[in-house]
Amino acid sequence: MRVVIAEDAAMMREGLVRLLTDRGFEVCAAVADADALRSAIAVSAPDVAIIDIRMPPTHTDEGLRAAIDIRRDHPDVGVLMFSQYVETRYATRLLADRPTGVGYLLKDRVADVADFVDALTRVASGGTALDPEVVGHLMRAGQDTAGVASLTPRERDVLSLMAEGRSNAGIAAALVITSGVVEKHVANIFAKLGLPSSDSDNRRVLAVLRHVSGG
Amino acid sequence: MTSDNGLMTALRAPFTIMAVRQAVFCVVGVVSAAALLSVPAIVPAVGVLILWATGALSRQPAPAVAPVFLVLFPLTVALLVVLAAPLGRVMGAVHRSLADRLLDVQVDAPPPRLSKRVGAVVSDGPGWRAVGYGLLKVPLAILEGYGAFCYVFGLVNLSYPVWWPLFRNHPTGTRLGPVWALTPFGTIGTRTFAGTFLIAAAGLAMLLAAPWLMRAGTTLDVAAMRRLLGPRRLAERVRELQVSRARAIDDAAAMMRRLERDLHDGAQIRLATLAMNLGMATEKLGVDGPPPDLAQARELVALAHRGAKDALADLRDLVRGIHPPVLDNGLGDALATLATSSAIPVAVTVELPDRPAPAIETIAYFCASELLANAAKHSRATRIGLGVVRSGAYLMVTVEDDGIGGANPGGPGLSGLARRIAVADGRMRVHSPTGGPTRVEITLPTQV
Repeated sequence: MRVVIAEDAAMMREGLVRLLTDRGFEVCAAVADADALRSAIAVSAPDVAIIDIRMPPTHTDEGLRAAIDIRRDHPDVGVLMFSQYVETRYATRLLADRPTGVGYLLKDRVADVADFVDALTRVASGGTALDPEVVGHLMRAGQDTAGVASLTPRERDVLSLMAEGRSNAGIAAALVITSGVVEKHVANIFAKLGLPSSDSDNRRVLAVLRHVSGG
Repeated sequence: MTSDNGLMTALRAPFTIMAVRQAVFCVVGVVSAAALLSVPAIVPAVGVLILWATGALSRQPAPAVAPVFLVLFPLTVALLVVLAAPLGRVMGAVHRSLADRLLDVQVDAPPPRLSKRVGAVVSDGPGWRAVGYGLLKVPLAILEGYGAFCYVFGLVNLSYPVWWPLFRNHPTGTRLGPVWALTPFGTIGTRTFAGTFLIAAAGLAMLLAAPWLMRAGTTLDVAAMRRLLGPRRLAERVRELQVSRARAIDDAAAMMRRLERDLHDGAQIRLATLAMNLGMATEKLGVDGPPPDLAQARELVALAHRGAKDALADLRDLVRGIHPPVLDNGLGDALATLATSSAIPVAVTVELPDRPAPAIETIAYFCASELLANAAKHSRATRIGLGVVRSGAYLMVTVEDDGIGGANPGGPGLSGLARRIAVADGRMRVHSPTGGPTRVEITLPTQV
């Protein structure tokens, strides 16, 4: 799997290159700013790009703007936003047009190598990976939405994991329950929230996120 | 004993640097008073010149005369009204800086004008007060000019016996006119060498009287400056406080931004990388049994270890930047510690009978820190003197080096410092001629 990394902190960038190479990814380019990222994407057409949101020169949201351009110009490149803080507005902006092949993770998540690699793979293959923090914010924002209040605590856990972009198997592993139980929870959640049931993980994430964020 | 000392002081007074500076100040005062008097005459004078050039003043005037006068008179008045206050401000600034340079007297500048609109310009209180000073300068300049005259011509008259043999060595029998000398009481003429000693005596008297006359003139002048060229009225003080409060808020916000940025790009990223390395190391060590890749795991743990130490160093620097813990022991300890980390040797002298307010200590510390850093970066000095003394209700921080000078008080570093100082009602003076040395003096109130 081919990856492009855009991260201005050299230490982090080198660490990521090492980690991903070690895990069998092919790192096509590791750059430090948005312009270099745009040209690297155009040149090497990777499967996925890891993009730091704050990069030079202004250190505000260069990475996010580059990501939006990339998603428009290269729809088959997965985009994983990488940041040190959670900003739900960024997440909703990214998910707004098309919630496929997109992710938004806190940099801290890189500490759990397996989870991180899993999320990256998901994004590369057109899935979604949202940071639990982002989902938490969205869920809190969607607290008042009809239906969410009627969920059991376990169903809420499942909802959060679904919103993160995990598959049924992933949810089962995270909660240490069987896939069958997960399926039952999912069916209950969809019924309670009044959402059309869907087999595809992506459409499921979209439905859940639209629901909790009031869209 | 005391009267002897008094006599010596009186005799020495004309030959001090201060007397020379006062004389320069007085002469400049006379020139500026003359210039001020001429300002209202400029426009009419130009008008007359135009009239003369166009032939309007000839015996058969052109029909343009009356309209030209009708236009010129109100134009003069309007120009004087509109330009008086801004010109007054400029003139005030020049005089404040003269007093600072020559008399070592600092008069604070009034707060800046609120806007550039004509209304604000015309109703600019400090500007008009400066105009008032300009008018008052005329009688003051008479006294100052009198003093300067006594000083300069006192010296000239004193030297007459020296010049006499050089210029009056004509053959005997040559009839020559008398030699004239200027005194405050008219001219004295003499035809004899002995007479020049009378002139010299008059010169000596003038020279001895001059410092006191000049001092009287400059003292009155400084008093007028303080009243008319400084910030005075309550409304202006309020305006000044508004400006400094806005700066304080800006500074606080900027400081928070800097802090966030430092944490974001420093410790936070180091810790994230450290966590990543430990995560990778954990994988290399495996869950149980013999580790799948011990060598790599060791390398990663070593990397993480180094990262943790770097993160600690980062945080330590950051903490010191927020508030150096040693400052809790007082400015003396803090500055001594600061001095030890300077690349250029620093001699620290702190003489404080008691501790100033903590906020003042912090500002003084950061000023010293910034100035030392500046000196290290730009001055090429070989030694730096850092002094803190108490003077009344004020704290004086002095940083001087033997470097190449040329520090620009308007540059971002020093002007930022000046802003922080102004927030606490303090002030900064930078003396840094090209070629050096540099001396920066900061005065801060001891209590906020």
